[in-house]
Amino acid sequence: MVKPWQGSIHAENGTSCHDCHGGDPKDAVNAMNPARGFLGVPKEIEIPSFCGRCHIGIRDDYLQSAHGKALGHGGPTCVTCHGSHDVKKVTLDIINEKNCSRCHAYARAAELKAAMEQAEKQIVVIEERLKVYKGEGVNTDAREKALFSARNRYHRLFHEVNTAKVRAESAQIVTELDKIQRGFGNIEAERQKRKITGVVAVSGSLLAALLFYLLRKTYD
Amino acid sequence: MSLLKKIYCWIDVRIGAGELVEKELTGYLLPRNINVWYSMGSILLVIFFLQVVTGILLLVYYVPDADKAFHSVTFIMNNVPFGWLIRMCHAVGSNMMVLILLFHMLSVLFMGSYKSPREMNWLSGFILFNLVLAVSLTGYLLPWSQLSFWATTVATNSVGAIPYVGEFLVEFLRGGKLVGPATLGRFFALHVLLIPLTIAAVVGAHLFFLQRTGVSTPPFGLTDSRNQWQGDNYRYESHPGGIPFFPNYALQDMTSIAIYFAFFLGVFFFAPYIFFPADAFVPANPFLTPAHIKPEWYFLANYQTLKIFPSEFFGLAVQGAAMTFLALLPFIDRGVEKHPLKRPLFMVCAIGGILLYLALMIWGHYS
Repeated sequence: MVKPWQGSIHAENGTSCHDCHGGDPKDAVNAMNPARGFLGVPKEIEIPSFCGRCHIGIRDDYLQSAHGKALGHGGPTCVTCHGSHDVKKVTLDIINEKNCSRCHAYARAAELKAAMEQAEKQIVVIEERLKVYKGEGVNTDAREKALFSARNRYHRLFHEVNTAKVRAESAQIVTELDKIQRGFGNIEAERQKRKITGVVAVSGSLLAALLFYLLRKTYD
Repeated sequence: MSLLKKIYCWIDVRIGAGELVEKELTGYLLPRNINVWYSMGSILLVIFFLQVVTGILLLVYYVPDADKAFHSVTFIMNNVPFGWLIRMCHAVGSNMMVLILLFHMLSVLFMGSYKSPREMNWLSGFILFNLVLAVSLTGYLLPWSQLSFWATTVATNSVGAIPYVGEFLVEFLRGGKLVGPATLGRFFALHVLLIPLTIAAVVGAHLFFLQRTGVSTPPFGLTDSRNQWQGDNYRYESHPGGIPFFPNYALQDMTSIAIYFAFFLGVFFFAPYIFFPADAFVPANPFLTPAHIKPEWYFLANYQTLKIFPSEFFGLAVQGAAMTFLALLPFIDRGVEKHPLKRPLFMVCAIGGILLYLALMIWGHYS
């Protein structure tokens, strides 16, 4: 259980065993005591509420979807698509012929995927840029919040099967993402300005060095 | 008589300015074979001045509180007009100060300028070197980033290897069992007041010793490069027929300072992040240890030395012995020859030492 978890998005975000399964990790003897809130492994029908304690919006989306409506009647639960302990950060790759064809035809899923591709690409690009900027001391808080909001809306589309709705919502998300990306232009312009200043400053210093050197030579 | 000349005359008849200029500037003669390495000290004075000025400007917005320090630095970098310039100037400047100080020490070593009667010049310089390392270490914590927090944890931890008093020293340095708000408070006080004042005082002493002993003659281009001081009585090393400090060598100083600025500004504008890993811009989190905690480049050799010995105490002892040897070098090396090529044992030890230092630094970086 531990090894798959170690490579998961949960481990990356510091979500540990007891955060999902309950219990008291500080008391080895009573760690798995139901009196200490230990939940153990949920039954199939309980899985959406089990995961939904944190992923509230996603749970609601799922329950309203065709997948959720088939819960307990052979429909998929969270772990069917996302896995249990080796849960990875969700990308569009999760919608693929191999996964979806386990239960139904892939055609509609492919249409949904196509509608969401642009937003996904932009999110990846923005995430990368923000990571770089953050590592260079740029205050990315506001942009991260905007991305967080757009990404949440985007993730909620994953459980939607209404193609028209997904298309419309994706277009709106892309507009928001465009706005974030336009902000990067300002940062780049500022950096360009600094580089030009740098060229002037370094050239000025070298010129001053040359002048001082020549002036010194006149006294030799 | 021009107004300027009138003002000069007015001052001159009162305090003897002309005599002072003659004695300390135009009549202050330096050896004819003086070289560019003698201007390292002037560059260091400029850097120290810049560090003080940028440091004071940073103090306007910096908040030395564990809850606010990181945000105040982020605010300086992103919201204060030209705040990024001041902060980066201070941070890049601190690295440059260590680099130029190392060059200064190496030039003194290779030209044998530490030899009698300049023991006190060397010792005060050596103390300055340690103070600069201390001011860099204490300043490193102030942004309260992941990097600064954990690097300080590692640095203060190593003191714990000293027998008997180690644990007490760690707690004393940190102001508690762990690096925390108390550590930030005391490092802040040390960084902005106590160490800079001590540096200023020791710089004063260093210049005083230089003024009393006179500038040493470089060993290059001479038929006799031996130390001429007999040790019998006080003697100011004058250089009759030498070149005047002003304007000749002052212009050499200005040339070197301008070249330094070209280099500094080049790093500053085109590769400022060379000194900043990504962890330097993530707020400190005592509960999340980063995968690889590395100190600044000038502590990498020390860091690696601690790692290669089976016990941290041996690592510390070896470093202590090396530093003591370096501090006492003028008392150990009593030879009169100053030319490096005529001092084969010195050359082997010096080049071997430099290569070992670089190797440990690279090893520390990649380990």
